Amino acid sequence: MRLNTIKYMVVAFSAIAILGSCKDDDDALVLNQPICSDGIQNGKETGVDCGGPCNDCIPPDFSGTYTQVDFMGRPGINTVLSASDEIKDAHNLSIPSEMVSNFQADFEARLEQYHDVYAGILGADPATVNYQPNILGDILNGTDKDGFTDNAVSATLLTTVLATDVLEVAPNHPTTYFNGGSGAPNYTNAVGFTGRAPQDDVIDVSLILLFGGGDGARFSGQDTDDDGIADLPRLTSDGVGLTATLSTEFPYLGAPE
Amino acid sequence: MKKSKLFMGLGAIAVAGALLVAADHIDAPGTTATTADIADFFAFEPTLGSDNTVFAIDLQSNVLENLAYGTFDEGVLTEINIDTDDDLVEDLVIQAIPRAGVMYFFGPVVPSETGTTGMIMSNAPLGSVAISNETAIVETTEEGVSLFAGPRQDAFFFDFFQFNAVIGGTAPDGFKPAGDPTTDADDDTTAVDTFDGSNTMSIVIEIPNSMLGATTAVNVLDLPVYNTWVTTNTKQ
Repeated sequence: MRLNTIKYMVVAFSAIAILGSCKDDDDALVLNQPICSDGIQNGKETGVDCGGPCNDCIPPDFSGTYTQVDFMGRPGINTVLSASDEIKDAHNLSIPSEMVSNFQADFEARLEQYHDVYAGILGADPATVNYQPNILGDILNGTDKDGFTDNAVSATLLTTVLATDVLEVAPNHPTTYFNGGSGAPNYTNAVGFTGRAPQDDVIDVSLILLFGGGDGARFSGQDTDDDGIADLPRLTSDGVGLTATLSTEFPYLGAPE
Repeated sequence: MKKSKLFMGLGAIAVAGALLVAADHIDAPGTTATTADIADFFAFEPTLGSDNTVFAIDLQSNVLENLAYGTFDEGVLTEINIDTDDDLVEDLVIQAIPRAGVMYFFGPVVPSETGTTGMIMSNAPLGSVAISNETAIVETTEEGVSLFAGPRQDAFFFDFFQFNAVIGGTAPDGFKPAGDPTTDADDDTTAVDTFDGSNTMSIVIEIPNSMLGATTAVNVLDLPVYNTWVTTNTKQ
């Protein structure tokens, strides 16, 4: 066989081999079929442009040790209750089983700081404007007792609960960030924290628990002397609701804007 | 709200050294503006009577200029931690990490170690899904687990500016009353959702509760719950 003929045959066989190896459909050489360089997994590929008739897939590298850099359980805990950059960073590197001992005292101090801000604005002695036990006490006590005199949820107890920064989600149960049942005064069928859906107003719930006192409305912009002007600050709602688009189907969050 | 106005306002706050606060967005100097910054975390029953639980994690944000946003980092492992016996230590983890345009999921599985360091549980693959652009690509596994990863609207809502004024002592009246969210005309006197119009990088998984198993943990009113939290972790 002449040398040139051999060369052409080698080239031809190579071309067939290359085309064949890159085809997912090995029946025929037809254009517009899945090929091994189209950037998507199709045909008989077992990965993107690999496996099946293509080159073997190189498994992704999942080796190595990974170290925690950020943490989140309930919304807003770190940002609202950690008073300094140092505490915020430490919180993100912490784990739930350590959080009460690491952060509860700081959180309680921060809660009182917020009340002192408004004592100043209201012209009152900061020592007299403090956190008041919230509606959780009423819910825990049932209808017989009120949440101030029995089983009151003190600043220490509340910040202990919140310092354990985990999001509780109840399986096979409707989700609301906080379900106070029928509300004051009886809170019938209250079940507490059952998870967090995107539409839940977690900020208002948090504000009510921090600043709402025993009836949930302690600082809610009341006009106490009937002059048509609010005498107390509005601290139990930030005044905004959901603005993003949600879907009733997976993945539930709306397409980017 | 117009973005330009938002950025001006946020710039003023940054200059004043006030706190930047949100659900978990930009919550601490150590992670702010990094690809590992957790913006938000949701855990919920998708529909009444469903036997599934949905976990949605938002990473990164474009609510401010100059934040990391738009690409999942292959060096960042996102981990959902689930405590089922109330000792506040994770009994199961579900992990997600991107490789070459695909988000790989592992678990739910008992982690090889608990705490702040760990490995990818690559011997417990759950499934994978191509990372979406604007249109959602969804993968559902044979076990009935749905998977998604890609940009989404930031569902969080909060009048962030007014909160900073409140904690800064410059808002004697506290928060503003509710306004009309469809117009800018009343924005000076009524509440505004700072996160309206911003996006985030979301990882969403819907999983049958049977794959998570029973739980003996309870909430404050004795309802059985999974204690859950999410972490981001970088390769050492």
